[in-house]
Amino acid sequence: MEADLNRIQSEALAETHAAGDLRALESVRVKYLGRSGDIPRLSEGMKSLSKEERPRFGRLLNEVRTAVTAALDVRAAALESERDAASLAGLDPTLPGNHAFRGTLHPLTQLQDRAIQILRHMGFVLADGPDIETEWHCFDALNTPPDHPARNEGDTFYLPDGRLLRSQTSTVQIRTMCAQRPPLRIIAPGACYRRDEVDATHLSQFNQIEGLYVDENVSLADLKSAVEMFVRGIFGEDAEIRLRPHFFPFTEPSYEVDVRAAALGGKWLEMAGCGMVDPAVFERVNEVRGDDAYDPERVTGFAFGFGLDRLAMCMSALPDIRLLIENDLRFLAQFPR
Amino acid sequence: MKLSLNWLSEYVDLTLDPDSLSSLLTMAGVEVEGVTRSGADFPHVVVAQILSSDPHPDADRLSVCRVDDGGGAPRQIVCGAKNYKVGDKIPLALPGAVLPGDFKIKKGKLRGVESEGMMCSAKELQLAADADGLLILPADSRVGAPMAELFPSDTVFDIEVTPNRPDLLSHIGVAREISALTGHRLVLPEPGPDSDSDSGRMPVTISDSDRCPLYSARLIRGVRVAPSPAWLVHRLESAGLRPINNIVDVTNFVLLETGQPLHAFDASTLHGGIEIRRAAAGEVFPALDGKSYPLNTDDLVIADANRPVALAGVMGGEQTGVTDATTEVLLESAQFLPSTVRRTSRRLGLISDSSYRFERGVDRQGVLRASQRAVSLILELAGGTAEPGISISGGSIPAPVHVNLRGDRCRSLLGAPIDDDEISRILIAFGLSRIGGDNTASTWSVPSHRLDLTREIDLIEEVARVHGLDRIPRTRRAFTAPESAMDRVFDFSMAVRRRLQGAGFHEARTLTLLSESMLADDCFGDDNILRVKNPLGEDSAALRPSLVPGLVKSAAFNVRQGTTDIRIFELGRVFHSGVPEESTKLALLLHGAVLPEMWREKSPRPSDFYDLKGVLSQVVPALHCRPSENSRLPLCAEVLSGETPVGWIGQVWPARARELDLNGALLVTEIDMTALYAVCVRPPSFSAWPKFPSTRRDIAMVVSGTVTHRQIVDILRGAREPLLSSIEVFDVFTDPTGEKVPMEMKSVGYALTYRAADRTLTSEEVTTAHAALKDRLQTRLGAQLRE
Repeated sequence: MEADLNRIQSEALAETHAAGDLRALESVRVKYLGRSGDIPRLSEGMKSLSKEERPRFGRLLNEVRTAVTAALDVRAAALESERDAASLAGLDPTLPGNHAFRGTLHPLTQLQDRAIQILRHMGFVLADGPDIETEWHCFDALNTPPDHPARNEGDTFYLPDGRLLRSQTSTVQIRTMCAQRPPLRIIAPGACYRRDEVDATHLSQFNQIEGLYVDENVSLADLKSAVEMFVRGIFGEDAEIRLRPHFFPFTEPSYEVDVRAAALGGKWLEMAGCGMVDPAVFERVNEVRGDDAYDPERVTGFAFGFGLDRLAMCMSALPDIRLLIENDLRFLAQFPR
Repeated sequence: MKLSLNWLSEYVDLTLDPDSLSSLLTMAGVEVEGVTRSGADFPHVVVAQILSSDPHPDADRLSVCRVDDGGGAPRQIVCGAKNYKVGDKIPLALPGAVLPGDFKIKKGKLRGVESEGMMCSAKELQLAADADGLLILPADSRVGAPMAELFPSDTVFDIEVTPNRPDLLSHIGVAREISALTGHRLVLPEPGPDSDSDSGRMPVTISDSDRCPLYSARLIRGVRVAPSPAWLVHRLESAGLRPINNIVDVTNFVLLETGQPLHAFDASTLHGGIEIRRAAAGEVFPALDGKSYPLNTDDLVIADANRPVALAGVMGGEQTGVTDATTEVLLESAQFLPSTVRRTSRRLGLISDSSYRFERGVDRQGVLRASQRAVSLILELAGGTAEPGISISGGSIPAPVHVNLRGDRCRSLLGAPIDDDEISRILIAFGLSRIGGDNTASTWSVPSHRLDLTREIDLIEEVARVHGLDRIPRTRRAFTAPESAMDRVFDFSMAVRRRLQGAGFHEARTLTLLSESMLADDCFGDDNILRVKNPLGEDSAALRPSLVPGLVKSAAFNVRQGTTDIRIFELGRVFHSGVPEESTKLALLLHGAVLPEMWREKSPRPSDFYDLKGVLSQVVPALHCRPSENSRLPLCAEVLSGETPVGWIGQVWPARARELDLNGALLVTEIDMTALYAVCVRPPSFSAWPKFPSTRRDIAMVVSGTVTHRQIVDILRGAREPLLSSIEVFDVFTDPTGEKVPMEMKSVGYALTYRAADRTLTSEEVTTAHAALKDRLQTRLGAQLRE
């Protein structure tokens, strides 16, 4: 039997080495170590040995089992690692990855989001108002004279009932002041409408962001600083502003904001309008509220508004504003942020 | 408005160069929008007269001229132009002249013939963009005169005057502003001798003194109408006006000089006195532009005894204007109510230099001064004699406006330590005078031309304008504000956008106003659509009731551009009559392949309904669809989140898709953002995961093709089997040939998961429960179970 044992060991080791793949190796394992394999069979045969012979043979048998098991394990590890290597060898890392459709946010949304994030850091919260407005909210309350050209049907879209599509987001200033007491620090993004013929630089619908801050002792210095902080947030720390006196019915003094920044090509570009809330606006609001929450002797405020479309045109050097509403996927895909 | 710097320099010392002046004005709120340089101020370019012209011996296209440049001996010039005749006067560039483009003129030979200079075209002197031959000068030009004498060099600013500053709509007005800003002295022209007030012989009656507070008329007899002299022509041309004749040109000159519009009538065409009245209904006015305008009772006219002779402040009449034959002139200078002039001018589409100024307001004090100035210029240029008296109606001079100003208020509003002395200096420079008050509050009298200064804030604005923003300090005011409801909605909508971006969708933005026919094509036309009454065109009259038609249009546009796979969404407002009138929607459109083509997936399958539903499930929690009837779409389902309806999803009629050249299914969905927000903001609550393993059993069966997934799920759920924890469909199969599954039937496979919270289930328990469910399906649906 001992001879058998030696033969089985050498055969098992040889076959283990010869096994070319894991399946062949498994057959070797079954042949020698399986339930009815050669080694268990010899173990069974021990019953026929004398009491004296059994311990020695048992020890030998165990040595053989251990050796064969170890050899099988080593060979299995080797074959596994060969198989793993083979499975990776076919991969070409330079081939393109699986394609997937990549979506984008509209450039105006990206810009609007950026502007809102900056203004929120400065303590502004969002406010909202309808696109369909009354003439009172859009003009009267904003101190626009009754015969002001902007009220013409040539300039503003009217509904048959006399209401209109707001020509500016400043309407939200009025709505918010009518509903809330000061202090107030709001921004209002939204669509506005003007009866402009559509061409490369004009749309009859555009997007503004409006800001309003009303409190005790709000000054022109605060306005200047807020506008500057915002502009630097959008255009970079190198951006400079220039406030050029202008006229708007609802602010006094009023300014146009010119910006110069490397991101804009280093030229002065008109970007926004702003000013100190005209006391007449506060008075109109008080009339409607029926109180003096916005007593112009007690509170002052500043307001600003800028056009997102123009900002997008300047920042991305768009040749035609209509790109912003055509939704050409070749255009939208260029704004992958 | 066009502003000539040469002209301006008559009233104020312009030591600044044009660039500095431009930025001074711009930063004071008078924006210089354009700068044009004009004239021909080139040394060594003079007026010369052609004495003779002979053919060049060696060149067919050249001539050899002898010209007189006023220097004594005639010069010989070789010339290629053909448009002159002997005796013409032309510009001659002498040797030493340098023309634009650094073109140096020298003596030289042209094809062997000596040429002592060059005769010039308008283009060569930059007087015109293009020229055909030599510039032929007026016959009365003085030979030898430098060109600058004929074409003085000038810089013209195009300025934007804001509507609150009508006083800047003239050269004197801007000169006054420059004087205030720089401290340079203002020199005004002598207005001419005073007339005896209100003693004119022309009777003037004002029937509507609200609309015409002041009217004056002065008669000048024996004038000779003729072309204006060069200086006047230059002035008008520099401001963009065409010269007409000396009388009309004087009225225009005074308008541009003082800002007061004037009108000259041919007095011999007027019958009886002048009346300023409302037009009669149906009255027609033949204006001097040759057109007839129908008037209504809102219009103000200047009339003689018979008819309207001018539309007040807007335009004169055709038959009463000054012509070459005119010898008697009636000169009108008046003030009209701005709103009257504006309404008439807008309604008739007639905008003139006069109406532009009247509708912004003229200086009451300047009305008679302008008349005197024009009379003295007319006498100087056209001769004649002025009636000593002027007819005036209205005209009580209003008291000067007084405004109080508190220094502290000024400082706190501007946030700058501007002292009282500086405030006073600034206001005095603008012509205000301090008439009282103390250090805390002063009272100021406002000059009559500053119609915009009526309140304290108006004076503070003047101080801010001159003090300059650069000198206002920066502040950093810390502020906190509670998040608003809209903040939360905005953040939510950005999160939805980001998710759709991740699902490969591009965000689109379409217009609110669209065409009703487009709505009808996409079956969105209905009675609740809101419209604007003055659209730019029929294609933009309706307020969109849905985002879908705009997205369909964008899809069609992209297909025309050659894009085949379209995944777009929009988040925006829609409108319809009712409550709420405006709501925010999210719409998605899907068309084309489900994946981009690539080397592993050579022809990805086209997207279908389930693909869009799958994308939607990424933004709508607990999404399920309830089939619904909708005339709009052949396949349409209501979209619910749990039991809350949030929108709809469907496929557009294939015929409509084909009409738009869309090849394959066009899938759309529209979700109400308010409803979606409401189901999304509920805070999620924790539920513990199971401790014991589950058991899965499958059901495969053949059911009628009309049975829906939802019905099967409802039947299984309806059994209220406590051990059943989830139901997943894993197979749906139909066979159009009827071979594997009979036609009108379908084979479906479901995986049922059984689980108990407190123990591991035994096989027998599961078998019993599963058998009961199978029985139920058999009874309720007549399902044939496949084992």
